[in-house]
Amino acid sequence: MLKVDNVKKAFGQTTVLDGVNLTVNPGEVVSILGSSGSGKSTLIRCINGLEKLNAGRITVDDFDVSKPKELAEARKRSATVFQLFNLYPHMTALQNITLAPVEVLKRPKAEVEAEGRALLQSVGLGDRADAYPAQLSGGQRQRVGICRALAMKPRYLLLDEVTSALDPEMTAEVLDILAKLAKSGTTMVFVTHEIEFARQISNRIVFLEKGKLLVDLPTAEFFAADGGLAQPRVAQFLSKMRKD
Amino acid sequence: MRYTEFTPFDLWLLAQGLGVTIGLFLVTSLIGLLLGALWGVIRFYRVPVLTQVITFIAEILKNSPVLVQLFLVFFGFPAFFKLNMTPVNAAIITLSLNTAAFVYVIAVSSIESIGRDQIEAARVFGLTRWQVLRHVIAPQALAFSIGPLTALLVNQLQVTSLISVIGVMDLSKIGANLNLRTLKPFIVWTAVGILYYLSAKLVATLGAKLEKRLRAHSAFRGL
Repeated sequence: MLKVDNVKKAFGQTTVLDGVNLTVNPGEVVSILGSSGSGKSTLIRCINGLEKLNAGRITVDDFDVSKPKELAEARKRSATVFQLFNLYPHMTALQNITLAPVEVLKRPKAEVEAEGRALLQSVGLGDRADAYPAQLSGGQRQRVGICRALAMKPRYLLLDEVTSALDPEMTAEVLDILAKLAKSGTTMVFVTHEIEFARQISNRIVFLEKGKLLVDLPTAEFFAADGGLAQPRVAQFLSKMRKD
Repeated sequence: MRYTEFTPFDLWLLAQGLGVTIGLFLVTSLIGLLLGALWGVIRFYRVPVLTQVITFIAEILKNSPVLVQLFLVFFGFPAFFKLNMTPVNAAIITLSLNTAAFVYVIAVSSIESIGRDQIEAARVFGLTRWQVLRHVIAPQALAFSIGPLTALLVNQLQVTSLISVIGVMDLSKIGANLNLRTLKPFIVWTAVGILYYLSAKLVATLGAKLEKRLRAHSAFRGL
């Protein structure tokens, strides 16, 4: 279980997360919606230990991310896919994927490489294993980013606006893969602006507004008139996003 | 035969001088590279006190003439601390430290040139600081720094000529001796200059080759 407990985070005077509570159970797909600056990305960065919390607690399978010793264990259980891919530019697609499993999980290189190739194959990049990130398109890079995360066999997959930097065609490439993952029971925390897609794959949808968790409802209820849409801010957000 | 004429033995003397110059260059460059890189790593880990001490020493070494540093090491310290100092040792100490100071600057700036985002990614995937340095930062920082390092080493090769002043029998000192004996400065200094030029060219060529290999991953070849 991934548990976010009354988390507060401020950068200087700016409060970004203001008492967020969230629980993600294994097998669930939870989408986090909210306008820019609502704290979605910061929440992900708190879960994977990139930001220090000002208050509250985050545990990944009972490992507290605020404690350096437990953070290492927590990080083995979650894997992040980044908005801007954050691939290692000096390594090939395959090397990007195998680095952490070999160095962190101490798994045999040959085995990890075979798995890495299979992962690349599964996202349609079987023939680009030896390409460097600079030689790949945005959509291809993000697919490598997803493979890199999956190679860690994470219990929780954290996705931070993974399609925001992609054009619609490349977005479709990436979303196809995520849909398959959701179907196969991968636990995902999915920060996104793709509302329709979130609706299709999520069990639950969470709405963040100015660092507070405004709504946390099962998907169907979130989009129901007497559920999430009853919140004026949510209704406003959804209508605006759909017009675009 | 008059004493002002050149003899075949002069060529041997020049070769010896070149050997001393190149030998000292290689030794001091190696020490300087290792020491400068080590300082860079210490700064990367933000080791308290040590980082400030290193930055201070590097500042002094960068911002004072090598000749003054050489005199201080060869004349100043031995007099003050009652030590014995040979010209060669003074040359090795001074040139190594001076190279290290500039290598340190290059190391720091190339480490800082690596995008924060990839370092964050590596940390999130559970790599330790050392693993991040070794697998993500160092290979890219090295590729990035080869250009400035080559320029630095080419310069340091010329700087070795200063050690002739304290009596090391390097290429410049041999040149000075030959000049005094033959009284043919144009020929002597042209020959010496060509030898320096060829050595420097060799360093630059090797550096360029290495850079090309280390940068294989960036397909960009300029506009």
